[in-house]
Amino acid sequence: MDLEKLKRHFPWITLVVLTLLVGLMDPNFLRPHNLIQLAGDISTLFIMALGITFVIYIGGIDLSAQSVANMTTVLATISLPLFGVWAGVFCIVIGLGFGAVSGFVTTRLKVPSFIATLAVGGLALSVGQYASGQRALYMDATLRDQAFGWMIGTTAGIPHELIIAIILLLLAYFVQNRTTTGRALKAIGAGELAAVASGLKVDQYKIMAFAFSGMFAAIAGLLFSVKLAGGSPTLAEGFLLPAIVAVLVGGTPLTGGVGGVLNTAIGAMIVAVVRTSMLYLEIPATSQQIFFGVVLIAAIALTIDRSKMRIVK
Amino acid sequence: MFELQKVDKIFPGVHALKAVDFEIKRGEIVGLVGENGAGKSTLMKVIYGAYQHDGGQVFVDGKTVRFHNPRQAMDMGVGMVFQEQSLIPNLTVMENIFLGFEKQFVNFGVIDWKKMAEAARHQLKKVKLDISPSTTTSQLSFAQRQLVELAKVLTLEERVQGDLVILLDEPTSVLAKDEIKLLFELVRDLRSRASFIFVSHRLDEVIDLSDRIYVLKDGEVVDVVNADEADVDSIQREMVGRNINKEYYREEQQKPYDDTKVLLELESVGNSGKYRDISLKLHAGEVLCLVGTEGSGREAILRTIYGLQRPESGSVSIKGQALKGFSAKCGVEKGVAYVPRERKIEGIVGGMTVFENMTLSQMGNYSRAGVLDVRHERALAREWIEKLSIKASSENADCGNLSGGNQQKVVLAKWRSGGSDIILLDHPTRGLDIGAKEDVYDMVRDMSAAGIGIILVADTLEEAIGLSHTIAVVKDGEIQKWFDCKPGCKPSLYDLIHYMI
Repeated sequence: MDLEKLKRHFPWITLVVLTLLVGLMDPNFLRPHNLIQLAGDISTLFIMALGITFVIYIGGIDLSAQSVANMTTVLATISLPLFGVWAGVFCIVIGLGFGAVSGFVTTRLKVPSFIATLAVGGLALSVGQYASGQRALYMDATLRDQAFGWMIGTTAGIPHELIIAIILLLLAYFVQNRTTTGRALKAIGAGELAAVASGLKVDQYKIMAFAFSGMFAAIAGLLFSVKLAGGSPTLAEGFLLPAIVAVLVGGTPLTGGVGGVLNTAIGAMIVAVVRTSMLYLEIPATSQQIFFGVVLIAAIALTIDRSKMRIVK
Repeated sequence: MFELQKVDKIFPGVHALKAVDFEIKRGEIVGLVGENGAGKSTLMKVIYGAYQHDGGQVFVDGKTVRFHNPRQAMDMGVGMVFQEQSLIPNLTVMENIFLGFEKQFVNFGVIDWKKMAEAARHQLKKVKLDISPSTTTSQLSFAQRQLVELAKVLTLEERVQGDLVILLDEPTSVLAKDEIKLLFELVRDLRSRASFIFVSHRLDEVIDLSDRIYVLKDGEVVDVVNADEADVDSIQREMVGRNINKEYYREEQQKPYDDTKVLLELESVGNSGKYRDISLKLHAGEVLCLVGTEGSGREAILRTIYGLQRPESGSVSIKGQALKGFSAKCGVEKGVAYVPRERKIEGIVGGMTVFENMTLSQMGNYSRAGVLDVRHERALAREWIEKLSIKASSENADCGNLSGGNQQKVVLAKWRSGGSDIILLDHPTRGLDIGAKEDVYDMVRDMSAAGIGIILVADTLEEAIGLSHTIAVVKDGEIQKWFDCKPGCKPSLYDLIHYMI
């Protein structure tokens, strides 16, 4: 078996090895209850990563996801008393819109996606700051439970967040593998020029990928704000780096075309296990980003398809 | 002094050079000719160090060498004058000449520009170019840039012990007649300083300039002739080999087309800087070939018809309907198919399976409400794998791993299965071996018999003449001349070349 074929199996092998290693340090870690808890805790981050996957899958990057999620926590908190359960729909549509703007700027104005999404992220951040008046806001507990109570809590020991994450994963998986949109995104990631020459409306599909990313970021933000019963423009701080790490460690390279949402699920679990192991090793939370930064660089260097990137600037 | 012995170069699926023997003596000018894909550029790349040979040996002055990169080749006196010029336009002439070798002018980390200019002037004198070394390169004419490039290579003279070998890759392709004359005089003068390897499509020039000529075909040296004994016709025959016979291009299968049915009509279509006033009609079953030199506008015309480029004037109508929107999507919907020259980049998507590639242009036919019917897709792929005898392990094989000929078949299957009836073929046989080329010719005849209209930009003139019903010679973006190509009274190469250049 050659290295290229083996490479595809790296992510889950890494996951299993890491899990067992942490299990050696503390056998309690391997208890089903603990593992489910762990998966539940990573759900929000995973949902954000799920959206980013679509953009990385076509060879772009979305740096706005965290800011969109931040903004959503604020908007959800503010709009809950006004719209009730419709506040959720409102937030999702706003997220979709911000993503679509990134897509538009990238495809029509030809601004590279990392800059376009960085700028749109700045926009989202400001909206969040303005709407919140720079303060942390709190949701009314009764209103929240009425509208979004179903998002939190557990059924048969399984956290509802995890169930939501799994449903979204299945949906995303279906879109990726069974729909014309998913096929088009794959073609764009693997060979954009051939996709153009085959008559696909490439720009439209690209905008869609960014819109998906914005939408998933908004869902993540919504879930987060319901969970914490409040919103603030810095609530989801520290999500972006691990979310991108989850996508890349999962096996979707920055150059796109391979990998996909299932890979991101594995990547997110790797991130969860690594975080836990850092607790065992007593690494302070403030230092965790150092680790994720290093892992990010390593993951990109190992997974990138160099034939597609002759020149890196 | 410079010699290759039994040099082999193998790429995945292609044996690009087969036991090539090649020798160049001091002060000699050696011509190198061959069709596209004969291995000329591979051979040159081995000589100047861009590729490493897989078998055989390279000798410089009797010593075995192995160049790992062009820089090492330069250190042994081998330099390349590039066809697509390698000068950086926003640097000055002297900066370009000494690019990467500025060290000799550096004092304490600062470049002594005066000294560099002086040295550059010395180099420019060698090529008889009277310009200031501090001119920005982008201000020079094409011919002047070519000379600067030559001067740049000639700096090796001062840097390297021993003899120089300079490769000239199609140096005349963009020069005017008098410029060519000057260049040739210069090269003859420079023989005292270096040996030259001269690569060109223009056989008369090669015979004029060279002492000896190597004829390359399918990766082998088929002949070495002395220039004074050579003539264009015999070299031509050797380059093309057995290919020249009628059977090769399936001429006996060429049937008259249906001239009552116009599939595509262009009326004085123009696009500034690319082509002007192009009018043509494509009929059902017709193979219409656009012939011209590189950059004559053939590709731009194809891309306009397909919808990748919007024309500025004139009208395009397909099956009697004038086109309004210009996008590849519109083109595809109207039944236009495009088989691009860059097969691996625009033709197929590497990393996707055969069936995914085949339905890429027609996903609408294999889906309901956006949900793909994968079983149906696979069935289609199996059918066409069978029909065109595509060599793939299954419909799930990665298209990127197929051989060039089979990739081309996948591209054709994509369009034919989608019902396209206007097919634009841009260099469909580029880089294919002979068997695969013949498969493509068979497919062209099949499609033509099925009433499909084909616009072809061929890899060679022989191919154009052999395959087409009609030929339009394009020069500088304008159609110069139409030829009728009925079997038996086809125009000759010279009829065409006369209008091309």
